[in-house]
Amino acid sequence: MAVASAVAYRPPRLARKRTRQAVLVWCFLAPSLAIFLLYRIIPLLWNVVLSFADWAPLRTIRWAGLDQYEEMLHDDVFWEALWNTLLFIASAPVGIVIALGLALLVSSEIRGRDVYRTIIFISYPLMTVAVAIIWRWLFDERVGLINYVARSLHLVDRPIQFLNSFVWALPSVIVANIWQMLGFYMIILLTGLQNIPPNLYEAAAIDGANARRRFWRITLPLLKPSLFLCIVIGMLNSFTSFDLVYVMTGGGPGRATELLVTYIYKLGFSQTRFDYAAAVTIVFFALLVAIAWMANRLSGGNAGAVETD
Amino acid sequence: MHRYPRWPIHLVLVGVSFLMLIPFYWVLKTSVTGENIFAYPPSILPKSPHPFYYVDVWYYIPFARYFANSVAVSMIAVIANVVLNAMAGYALTRDFPAKAFVLLLFLSCMMVPFQATIIPAYLITGRLGLLDSYLGLALPQFSTIVCIFVFKASFDAVPRSLIDAARIDGLAEWRIVWKVMLPLAKGAIATNVILAFIWSWNNFLWPLIVTRSADMQTLPLGLARFLSYQEDTTGALYAFCIMVLAPGILLFLLAQKEFIRGLTSGATKG
Repeated sequence: MAVASAVAYRPPRLARKRTRQAVLVWCFLAPSLAIFLLYRIIPLLWNVVLSFADWAPLRTIRWAGLDQYEEMLHDDVFWEALWNTLLFIASAPVGIVIALGLALLVSSEIRGRDVYRTIIFISYPLMTVAVAIIWRWLFDERVGLINYVARSLHLVDRPIQFLNSFVWALPSVIVANIWQMLGFYMIILLTGLQNIPPNLYEAAAIDGANARRRFWRITLPLLKPSLFLCIVIGMLNSFTSFDLVYVMTGGGPGRATELLVTYIYKLGFSQTRFDYAAAVTIVFFALLVAIAWMANRLSGGNAGAVETD
Repeated sequence: MHRYPRWPIHLVLVGVSFLMLIPFYWVLKTSVTGENIFAYPPSILPKSPHPFYYVDVWYYIPFARYFANSVAVSMIAVIANVVLNAMAGYALTRDFPAKAFVLLLFLSCMMVPFQATIIPAYLITGRLGLLDSYLGLALPQFSTIVCIFVFKASFDAVPRSLIDAARIDGLAEWRIVWKVMLPLAKGAIATNVILAFIWSWNNFLWPLIVTRSADMQTLPLGLARFLSYQEDTTGALYAFCIMVLAPGILLFLLAQKEFIRGLTSGATKG
């Protein structure tokens, strides 16, 4: 009886094919979706829940309302980490401007430009921990190369304790970060430059526009999507420069280089304050979304986003 | 128009190249001499270079173990990443209900940096019983959205007629993927392999959170630990640095094209 009814209600061939295709599509999507669910969506929601709770491993969870956020208001370390993170973000445009200059230079038809491109780009894919150790060594107060050069040129009388100085530590880390990111920005901008149709320049040259006008009127406007992508990625990178700070300074001296990421890590894994760390993460994420939204508004639309169709 | 002198451009670029390379030189020099760890002023050229610090590395730390761990985790991550991304990328080339929603979901996941998930990610991995294991180290990297879109773009470029022809020949759907699509997506596969490898190889924060035992440390962790208990007092640290950087540089030089294509795929609209 059951078999007979199944046969009787078999859907038409086309519809069955549709269903089979849908099943296939979802089977193909399922593993990736599961990973994103497990390591992106659920963590975000879990953070929200934790941030309103009072909880530590092996303890029962208790509703805490806005206690965590209230504590944050009075937490000096949090404010300092927030400020440092903002300074770090503000440094991204510096790198992008330098990279724009370099991209313009290596896009000109000169000999050996591929070699230049490779050399400038090579620091980007390297292990950040190793890069941090290299820069620690360059900034070393006794025998670091930078102090050596500065002293040889008589710029300073006594060696500067770059990474142990409250004034210099953050700029030093930022320099190392720009050094590593420069090649990446350059490659993105270079791709953008190469996508500008050359006949635009020719037309402008015939119309008598000089090089500077061509740059401001053609290059920059058409480069907007690439610049926006650089800004978004540079911002994300500044937000998340954990490795560099952790290895170069560990957030010190004092908390002069503490970023929100390193603070979250410390709260979570050295002080086991998961609930408070989650609350800081929520603020961290909200800030990220706010800045991305602002950048998007400033660039006028969805420039630089991955085209979906 | 092209009559301006070229030498100022070369001058600037040589200067910048010099700034980009000097840190490597300085570390390389220290790793073969160790001389300027204690002496001031440092010498510019290495005096009496020797390979002993490279030998020391093997005695100070279980370098082979760290290296094997890094290779194992990266292998798992790369293989899973390519398979899952190719599948998802293929699915996104088809029309199905809720496709817009899935795309939106992927794009918004892109905005969630891993660093904003560490606390729950650690708790979840703990619940799964995967702390301190290769699988646990690699699991968050099993799928990456950028590479899904690289695959999607590559599959979209396959002519529709080719797929229809294969279907008329009676090939099953998964065989179409395997026999027709994947061979035509070699570029996407290469891009994905190299990106996934570099992400996994360089990853520091996640192993720092997930590993407990000394046996499970990967190379970046080993490097950071070595720094924390040796400080800067031995050339072996810099030898270790060079040993860790060398494979990355080599791989990058070999596969520069694929790597750059992967990074710029987001910039070039489709």
